[in-house]
Amino acid sequence: MDWQALILSLELAAATLLVLLPTGLLLGRWLARTGFVGKPWIEALVVLPLVLPPTVLGYYLLVSMGGASPLGAWVQQAFGVSLTFNFLGLLIASVIFNVPFLVQPVQRAFEAIPANLAEAAAVSGLSAWQTFWRIELPLAWPGVLSACVLTFVHTLGEFGVVLMVGGSIPGETKTIAISIYDKVQSFDLAGANQMALLLLLFSLGAVGASFFASARLAVRR
Amino acid sequence: MSGPDLKTGLALVVEVEQAHPMPLSGSLRCDAGELLALVGPSGAGKTSLMRVLAGLMRPQHGRVAVGGEVWCDTAQGIFWPPQRRHVGLVFQNYALMPHLDASANVALSLLHLPRAERLKQARHWLDHVGLSTEQQARRPAALSGGQQQRVAVARALAREPKLLLLDEPFSAVDQMNRQGLYRLIADLRRELAIPIVLVTHDLNEARMLADRLVVMDKGQVLQQGSPAHIHNAPRNARVADLVGIQNRFRGEWLGPAAVPGQGLLRWTGDAATAAPAPVLTVRDKGKLEVGQLLSWVIPSDGIRLVEATAQQAGDFSAEVVAARHLGEITLATLCVAEVPGAELVLTLSGAQRRDLVAGARVAVRLDLGLVHVMPQRSA
Repeated sequence: MDWQALILSLELAAATLLVLLPTGLLLGRWLARTGFVGKPWIEALVVLPLVLPPTVLGYYLLVSMGGASPLGAWVQQAFGVSLTFNFLGLLIASVIFNVPFLVQPVQRAFEAIPANLAEAAAVSGLSAWQTFWRIELPLAWPGVLSACVLTFVHTLGEFGVVLMVGGSIPGETKTIAISIYDKVQSFDLAGANQMALLLLLFSLGAVGASFFASARLAVRR
Repeated sequence: MSGPDLKTGLALVVEVEQAHPMPLSGSLRCDAGELLALVGPSGAGKTSLMRVLAGLMRPQHGRVAVGGEVWCDTAQGIFWPPQRRHVGLVFQNYALMPHLDASANVALSLLHLPRAERLKQARHWLDHVGLSTEQQARRPAALSGGQQQRVAVARALAREPKLLLLDEPFSAVDQMNRQGLYRLIADLRRELAIPIVLVTHDLNEARMLADRLVVMDKGQVLQQGSPAHIHNAPRNARVADLVGIQNRFRGEWLGPAAVPGQGLLRWTGDAATAAPAPVLTVRDKGKLEVGQLLSWVIPSDGIRLVEATAQQAGDFSAEVVAARHLGEITLATLCVAEVPGAELVLTLSGAQRRDLVAGARVAVRLDLGLVHVMPQRSA
């Protein structure tokens, strides 16, 4: 059992969620209400990581963030850190890769709220911020919760992008999915089985629990 | 302090003129303590106008002033957001927050107060609209339509409004519960010294509750005045249609009568018939030209049925074409013998409807003093 890889994966999933949740909430809320003409293209961009092969995404991230790229070179010079083959690079890739998993359910959750509730809130004197906190977020909460669980579990299972951008450095970029792959490659099937089963059960449990909780929250309204 | 002081409001004065996104034009005034009903078919612009008043829609050109405050004046670039306006708005489907119980819904209007005071006031308003303590702790989904309506009214009142807007407030409430809500609105109208604007497509509702009607169609304010005035003297044929005046006929203006202030109106039926059309002597305001084609109406108050045997000079003979008995009332259609094609529609109750069956012959006596003539509607 590669505990180090498991812990790294959990850390990556938590960090991804931490970065993605606030931005995803704002983006999803905006997409749900905006009448902006370019909205379909922004929605397409959001979905892109879902339909592209992880290698394509990983390739472009490597090219744009690697030491040879202007961005990579600038960050290296300004902050003394590299954006590839370390945890930071992995986190950036993971955030981008998870955008559709968080933003789409959040957008649907906000879209399901009748528009006149926000108007009623405004007429009652609530500011836009108060309306978001007191009305919209509580109503969208079941959707937001399942989006978070989905993002977390999906990060644990990430493989292609991680391999392209992070490689397989133990304790730095070697996540549980990579570790399972390495074990299979070295014919340690017992070790691979252990971790695969753990990931399977955890993912099933988390997603199942979130669906259960969403249904309960929806009924309580 | 027991609740906010609601006796300090002043009039609402509105002028709007816009072509996009939907046409909307007209002006109206509603004094403090007055209930004004916006009536018209769906799509007439009633709800749009209400959204302009609430600050949910910015008009192309317009001015909204309430209680001496200018909430919107496009000429000066003034547009207050809804948060600043102190409008109580009861939405068509109430727009209650599904995740909050009734008292928390009302407390939303009171966020400027400390938490304890908020709940106290929310309960005060819910008591005021007649919701029991047990019902106040329920979420909207666990309340009936009429109870949700009352919560929405309480939330609007808790805002300490300078203007109360009611958007089709009865549309989602069944007939049984409407009576109680009518009483609630009538009570509010008495106790609040602020302008109240009611949007409705139900004319009976509007007549029952409102001091003044504003008739709208296709985004335009067509006429405003007391329900009785609009009913007796609609400005044009469209208004007559919209306020449900059934007895509308065609005629031709023949000029002034011998008596000053009166004129002669030829009652024309189907153009095809050659029968000599009767001439009526009616009120004349001197605005019509000789030979002008026009529409004229007579309210049902001005139509009396007389037994055929008692027919006098000036009465008309009529035959009952159809009589539908609807419980306590009878809806009768009569055709007038002297004017082929002219049909009278009457709602009758009591003993006078006893012998009213299809084919029966009666005499009709018109009170010509109640005849109101209008220029012909341009096609």
